[in-house]
Amino acid sequence: MTAAPILAVEGLSVSYATARGRLAALDDVSFAIPRGRSLGLVGESGSGKSTVILALLGLLGAGARTGARSAVFMGGDLLGKEAPNRRGDRIGVVFQDPGAVLNPALTVGLQVAEPLMVHRGLARGAALERAAALLGEVGIHRPAEMARAYPHQLSGGMKQRALIAMALSCEPDLLLLDEPTTALDVTVEAQILDLLQAERERRGLSILFVSHNLGIVERLCDELAVLYAGRIVEQGPTAAIFRQPRHPYTKGLLGALPRLDRDRALRLVPIPGGLPDLTRPPPGCNFEARCPFAVAGCAAPQALQPQPDTVRVRCHRSRELEGKAWPVESASPAQARRAAGEPILEADRLSKTFPLGGILSRLRFEGGLPRLGPPAAVRAVDAVSIAVRSGQVLGVVGESGSGKSTLARLVLRLLEADGGALSYRKRPVARVPDRGFRRHAQIVFQNPESSLNPRKRVSQILARPLALFGVAGGRDLAARIDRLLELVRLPASYRDRYPHQLSGGEKQRVSIARAMASEPEVLVCDEAVSALDVSVQAAILNLFADLRDELGVAYLFISHDISVIAHLADRVAVMYGGALVEEGALTEVLRPPYHPYTEALLSAVPMVGSRERAAQRVRLPAEAAAPGAGCRFAPRCPRRIGTICDAVPPPAHEPAPGHRIACHLPLDQLAALAPALGGMESSHPPG
Amino acid sequence: MTARANPVGILRAGRLPPSLVMGGIVVALLVALALLGPWIAPYPFDQFNVRARFSPPDAQHWFGTDEFGRDVLSRVLVGARYSLLIGFGASALSLVLGVPLGLVAAYRRDVGGELIMRAVDVMISVPPILLGLLILAVTPPDIWKTILAVGIVYVPIMTRITRSVALGLLAEDFVQAARARGESAFYILFGEILPNAWPPIIVETSLRVTFAILLGSALSFLGLGAQPPMSEWGLMIAQSRPFIEQAPWIGLAPGIVLCILLVSVNLVGEGLREALDPRFAERGSP
Repeated sequence: MTAAPILAVEGLSVSYATARGRLAALDDVSFAIPRGRSLGLVGESGSGKSTVILALLGLLGAGARTGARSAVFMGGDLLGKEAPNRRGDRIGVVFQDPGAVLNPALTVGLQVAEPLMVHRGLARGAALERAAALLGEVGIHRPAEMARAYPHQLSGGMKQRALIAMALSCEPDLLLLDEPTTALDVTVEAQILDLLQAERERRGLSILFVSHNLGIVERLCDELAVLYAGRIVEQGPTAAIFRQPRHPYTKGLLGALPRLDRDRALRLVPIPGGLPDLTRPPPGCNFEARCPFAVAGCAAPQALQPQPDTVRVRCHRSRELEGKAWPVESASPAQARRAAGEPILEADRLSKTFPLGGILSRLRFEGGLPRLGPPAAVRAVDAVSIAVRSGQVLGVVGESGSGKSTLARLVLRLLEADGGALSYRKRPVARVPDRGFRRHAQIVFQNPESSLNPRKRVSQILARPLALFGVAGGRDLAARIDRLLELVRLPASYRDRYPHQLSGGEKQRVSIARAMASEPEVLVCDEAVSALDVSVQAAILNLFADLRDELGVAYLFISHDISVIAHLADRVAVMYGGALVEEGALTEVLRPPYHPYTEALLSAVPMVGSRERAAQRVRLPAEAAAPGAGCRFAPRCPRRIGTICDAVPPPAHEPAPGHRIACHLPLDQLAALAPALGGMESSHPPG
Repeated sequence: MTARANPVGILRAGRLPPSLVMGGIVVALLVALALLGPWIAPYPFDQFNVRARFSPPDAQHWFGTDEFGRDVLSRVLVGARYSLLIGFGASALSLVLGVPLGLVAAYRRDVGGELIMRAVDVMISVPPILLGLLILAVTPPDIWKTILAVGIVYVPIMTRITRSVALGLLAEDFVQAARARGESAFYILFGEILPNAWPPIIVETSLRVTFAILLGSALSFLGLGAQPPMSEWGLMIAQSRPFIEQAPWIGLAPGIVLCILLVSVNLVGEGLREALDPRFAERGSP
């Protein structure tokens, strides 16, 4: 606490007009950011965190009513008449989806230059020159060239760098970041966070960082404010909050996070229920309905009370609850996990190539004669062999474009493979699979909004597979539907609901129930928890674990999030560029020897309580040339040996039975890599 | 609880959207008038009365008389049957042919689907009147041929709309889930896709009804539909043109009825779209 804060907001409230009355999106939110410091604002979807940013920028729509006791930015009123100019000049903003923010019809350079022309009155030429320099500063190679490029020619990470350059163009004092890395891959996210950290130190920027990801917030923020349903429930120094969460909601959030550094036998904390109805906000604690510690006094209005460590908490029981963890019901005492049995679903060198463009795009004119060029194609899955064993969870991890979703569709024969073989219980699966295969291999998708037919009731959705596969019919049908709902922990009354009457997590439960209806032996989960909030994700992950333990279902569990994979999987396959680079038992994959890409992936994972890891983080170059015939990772590999990596397909090392690493580096060198997880010892007690 | 008692689900009395009720009442009234037309008409529709030519609306001739002294009200009533038959018949025909074609074209992303869409392009590129002529010119006119001709003219539009809606829906995960169950193409198209594709199709169809009546009358005008002295709304409007200043009521009467039909059919379409949307039941309840 040195000088006056650069931004001080007192009692910010925002309400929207809706059909059911005014919805209180923000209720008396106060915070201050000292110059050169950073504040993290965390909360789940619907908590109002983006509304804070929009309100500060005056971007809320006509239906919104904004009020604040005071909002002072650099000594001036932020919500008053002359505010827009001050904002554009002194505040930089970076939004979540870089693809949606850049105008596809204008060059990147021009878009970065625009604020300079508007706010600084620079001439076009000078502004463009400055824009190119800025692009260079944010780590874009060949900036002059890239300034002339259009957005579609840039990768997601490059676009986000360009947006950061745009936000920095007027040398702002305050940077507002609204989930700036959520749409990016984890290795790219790590680079962007490095960049933000570096810019912050270099320019003395103050930062307001909005995110749902606690791991990222910890990496970048000095102070933290936890937002729940429009109210700040806990506020204070980041380190203090992570060391000792005091509000039950914060405890829940931290416990819900699957963590690589925690014993995976522990169950995650699911926070039951959903947000309160904000058109009638409860006068007392708004978390009461979901809180396991709730007592009679919670219905009284709560104030943010100061605690030790300069933390403030909106909970009257925070002192009594000190050190008390969120109660977790123990795992169902089902039969002990069966040992992995024989392989159920085996893929042998499955490949899939997608053609690019139609026949006309192949037409070339050579010497005035039309010629048909070779078809352009992208190899999405390249000779991937995996085996899912009964009662086992095989996790597939990889970044976007690694081919993991294509693999999911190939092993279910939803897509036709170009090459390779697929067998189910040692029998080959035909191109058009028979009923038995369809019945026993099912899938759960990522997006709950798209997974259920909006015109059908839950009972109709669940009845179809039951009837189709003859699992139940006639009088049994209703009872069976109730049993399925019970299996996914939904009340039987939900059978008459339509999908729009369910929350995201509930929809995902219905999707799982639909997949489980035919009593499958293998369940393919394609990013099945990626679209969910942390607390809901925790509940669904617990459900998956229970189904595995109770019914012995085998999973092919696909995710970009290695923490999720590590929580559930027995074996892990790491994909890069359509190929498997490493496969092995979970514990083997998480420590050396591992593939250089696995190392980079692990070290990039944002982890709560791992600030000190930042120094030894492996950084991948952002841009990559197209891979040659050799290792697909070679163009980005920090441990590349030489041309052999580009030209020759890497051999497979087998350091332990069933653990394969495809790399040219000798095994002893791979084994000597530093453990990316910092030794796996948990130095932080679980929240 | 009501779900099992009522398989249609949301189509419950009292919960119907007001637009559906209002539009439905007017359309039903028009249909009733059309059916009863020949019996309730005050005069025979083709009775000349030279002394009462161009008589403006009065107590005897509510809608006035035309250039031959025929009662306009009687002609509107008698012609209603023919016009409505063309309007609804042709729309139904284009729906029955166009929607399945569009669904198949969306589902089959191979040569078959391509063939359907190129055939549709060819049909769209031929002017509708010419297409109608092709179908009607070779044989003597008859009402079912007019319906056939007009209906076929609108098939390509239905096919295109259905296909574009279905293409979007086919990418949804619930369709992938159905494929993972090994569902047949028929079930996927008619069980999963079609219930979601209805809204734009319904809106389009309700527009088509009035267009079909007008196109039918254009064909009549060319001597390929209803023939004088037979009465039909479009034909009445077309033939009233020379007298538009002298006796505007001749064309006005069928024009107004056509307008009422257009608005009420669109209301029905709008209402149907809401009634089929599960979300409506919630919005409708207090």
